[in-house]
Amino acid sequence: MRTPVAYYLMLSGILFMLGTVGVLTRKNALLIFMSVELQLNAVNLALVAFSRLHDDLTGQVLAFFSMVVAAAEVVVGLAIIVAIYRRRRSVDVDDVRELRW
Amino acid sequence: MPLDNVVFWVFAPISVASAIGMLLVRNAVHAALFLIVNFFCLAVFYLLLDAPFLFAVQIVVYAGAIMVLFLFVIMLLGVDSGVPVRERLIVQRPLAFALGAAFVVELFLAIRAGVGFTTKAPAVFTANEGGNTQAVAKVLFTQYFFPFEVTSVLLLVAAIAAMVLAHRKARAVTQAEIDAAAGEPAADEMPAYGSGTAAP
Amino acid sequence: MVSHTNSALWVIPALPLATAVINLFVGRRLGRWAGWLASASVIVSFAVSVALVSELVAKPAEDRLFLQHLFDWISVGRLVVGMDLRLDSLSATMILVITGIGALIHVYAVGYMDGDPRFGRFFSYMNLFVFFMLMLVLGANYLVLYLGWEGVGLCSYLLIGFWSDVPANAEAAKKAFITTRIGDTLMLIGLALIVSRFGTLDFQTVFGTAGTVLTKDAATAIALLLFAGAIGKSAQVPLHVWLPDAMAGPTPVSALIHAATMVTAGVYLVVRSHVLFELSGVALTVVLVVGVVTAVFAATCAIAQQDIKRVLAYSTIGQLGFMFMAAGMRAYSVAMFFLVAHAFYKALLFLGAGSVIHGMHDEQDLRQMGGLRRLMPITFVAFAVGALAQAGIPPLVGFFAKDAVLEVAQHTGREVVYVLGAFAAFLSAFYLGRMLYLTFFGEARSDPARNAREAPPVMWVPLAILAVGAATAEWLNLTPEGRLTGFLESVTGATPAGHGLAVAELAAVATIISIVALGLTWWIYGSGRVDWIGFRERLEPLPRAALNGWYVDRGYDTVVIQPAKAGAWITAYVVDARIIDGAVNAIGGGVKRLAEGGRLLQTGFVRSYALAVFLGAVAILVYVGARQ
Repeated sequence: MRTPVAYYLMLSGILFMLGTVGVLTRKNALLIFMSVELQLNAVNLALVAFSRLHDDLTGQVLAFFSMVVAAAEVVVGLAIIVAIYRRRRSVDVDDVRELRW
Repeated sequence: MPLDNVVFWVFAPISVASAIGMLLVRNAVHAALFLIVNFFCLAVFYLLLDAPFLFAVQIVVYAGAIMVLFLFVIMLLGVDSGVPVRERLIVQRPLAFALGAAFVVELFLAIRAGVGFTTKAPAVFTANEGGNTQAVAKVLFTQYFFPFEVTSVLLLVAAIAAMVLAHRKARAVTQAEIDAAAGEPAADEMPAYGSGTAAP
Repeated sequence: MVSHTNSALWVIPALPLATAVINLFVGRRLGRWAGWLASASVIVSFAVSVALVSELVAKPAEDRLFLQHLFDWISVGRLVVGMDLRLDSLSATMILVITGIGALIHVYAVGYMDGDPRFGRFFSYMNLFVFFMLMLVLGANYLVLYLGWEGVGLCSYLLIGFWSDVPANAEAAKKAFITTRIGDTLMLIGLALIVSRFGTLDFQTVFGTAGTVLTKDAATAIALLLFAGAIGKSAQVPLHVWLPDAMAGPTPVSALIHAATMVTAGVYLVVRSHVLFELSGVALTVVLVVGVVTAVFAATCAIAQQDIKRVLAYSTIGQLGFMFMAAGMRAYSVAMFFLVAHAFYKALLFLGAGSVIHGMHDEQDLRQMGGLRRLMPITFVAFAVGALAQAGIPPLVGFFAKDAVLEVAQHTGREVVYVLGAFAAFLSAFYLGRMLYLTFFGEARSDPARNAREAPPVMWVPLAILAVGAATAEWLNLTPEGRLTGFLESVTGATPAGHGLAVAELAAVATIISIVALGLTWWIYGSGRVDWIGFRERLEPLPRAALNGWYVDRGYDTVVIQPAKAGAWITAYVVDARIIDGAVNAIGGGVKRLAEGGRLLQTGFVRSYALAVFLGAVAILVYVGARQ
């Protein structure tokens, strides 16, 4: 491995940042959700990079679990979005603002 | 030039570009496709980092199951057509970008202070003794057995939760309702649902 | 003094207490028997008192002390106060007066209060009063005395305002209670001082060790504070204002409480505490001055009153002044003798007045009376006996008592006191004569007077008994060494002797003063030759001022009551409503404004919240990074 680990970490950070910006700026619930997935993946990348650096499989295992949990999360999240859509005919998160002053 | 360097410098821009693309497009399906590209790049990176098992899992689970599920729902809800946006929260965009930039700068400084930009990983990944999959399996089923079992329960719960959340009491749909709902997307007239997971 | 334990003392106050409670709960069902029950209780108490006092007297003089410890009342730290009773010559005198005259007044009241809807309650209160008064005088320590002190104050309040449907009565009751409260509070401070100096409130201990424990200043402070209580309770100047208004209560109440017993509690207190007063010369002087001033002041007010009971009220105030005069000159046994004499003739006068009022169908104005001696002969004779007794006509008891006081003054060189005392005696005889002649002589001046009837036997029998007592009471002290005063000296110490004019000369002077006064009033009021209405009008505005007590009440109103009311108004409507409530409401308003601003954070937009989360995360990262 000739690439410095730091590059992978920077890449992971950039992807994470992009995912966060996506979460904050998009209005479509599904797109927000996808940005979240991007964030999760960025973190997985960082985990695997560290695992390679420290010669320890823990990082990979953790990334693996992260993927599993992300899968479960997507299932439930999409079910919620579908339920909300049924009620309001819209997936715009700005429309779901009952919990306010 | 070392091979992994080349591969890295080819796929890194692609992944960043696809991420940016995902952010910018209006159409949800396009965004999902961009994301899939991004996942593939990441899978390659796993491969570069001597994690072939995760490479496979990434493709199968993320790109193959999760994104497919996304696409299902996007199609189902018919929100693929993008609507022009008028931003209500004025401060949201600029602040998000500013914070993102700040975050990256932060990270840069942290990495420079921590790992350092010249550190390379050790030449041999001894943990991969006997093959990555075998090693992962060994660790997974011994040291991390309990989280493994818990995660399996979690998946079960998630499946049930999804079914409950998306369940709609089946009832006879009258002609009047069909007429009244004329023009609505067809999605809400499907009687039975099991949002079911494609993932195991 | 050697003391003996006696286990029967408690019976004396217990009987009235028991019947008070009975009458409180079942009085209504007993009807008229409530009154008889109450009277019987006091009579039996009197009998027991007589028995115990005889037992006391049978002992030699140094041995005359009975003590009874009922139970430990207060036990706090090193202060132990017991419910202790003490019978010595001083308290013996008092209990005989209280129960004896009290019994007669109770019987009288059965007739006077006949038909009243709250008959039973009245007698409950009367018995309760007797109980508390007995506790006051039987107490062996200051706390039991104070218990009685407060108790009689309470009963006085209840009884003055007995006919509470008339607002003026309730006002009078309140006035009595509040005015005496001022004195009571000062007295309590005095008790606290005693505890702090002596560690106990027991009479034996305090009076025995006072000489060594107290400095002169401490003794003065304590004595003056106790005397303040006496000023309030015994209606001396300046706390006298409640007694004339207290006449709003039924006449038996006036007789018992405001003539014979409660108001004399102050005298009892001073005499009992004389050891403390003598350690401080200043205190005795104060007592003397207050007594003299009150005697003269009250007499000047009494001569101008138009209500028969108010004359007697001011008269009582003045007579109490005489008692304090005697005490202030260290003649304590003389003061007590005066107290006993006064109890007889004042109760008699009040009961007689009550009989007149009863016969006149509740008319109390002297100007409406006249010629009653023909229609109410028994009342007339009784009243005349009382009046003559107080006026100091020998051989009635008042002469001896008053003469004794003036004699002490003259013999100890206090000429000013003698002159002022004599002047007060003159005025006293004057207003008595005026009352006597206006009520019973001349022609009836109104219909109630023309149609007056004599009182029923249940009322005139006690009246007659009391009259006989007043007429013969002088035997109490007629022996040269003074049977009563000698009896008391085991507690009070000897009367200061001195020299001056001969006893016979003083007696003659006193008698002449009284006769002149009575003659003068006969000529003005009784003979019909003087237009006393016009005479009064020509003297205006003096009679009006005297009638209003020289406007002391109005002075208090301006100086004390109105500022207090203004202060209360300010406290309620400015400090409380505006400042305090304002501050609290301002805080509430501030919180509200804060919340109103704060709630705008809850936009409902998920994305805003996410932004906030991210912002926080970056901030934490910055912080952590900066610390590295």
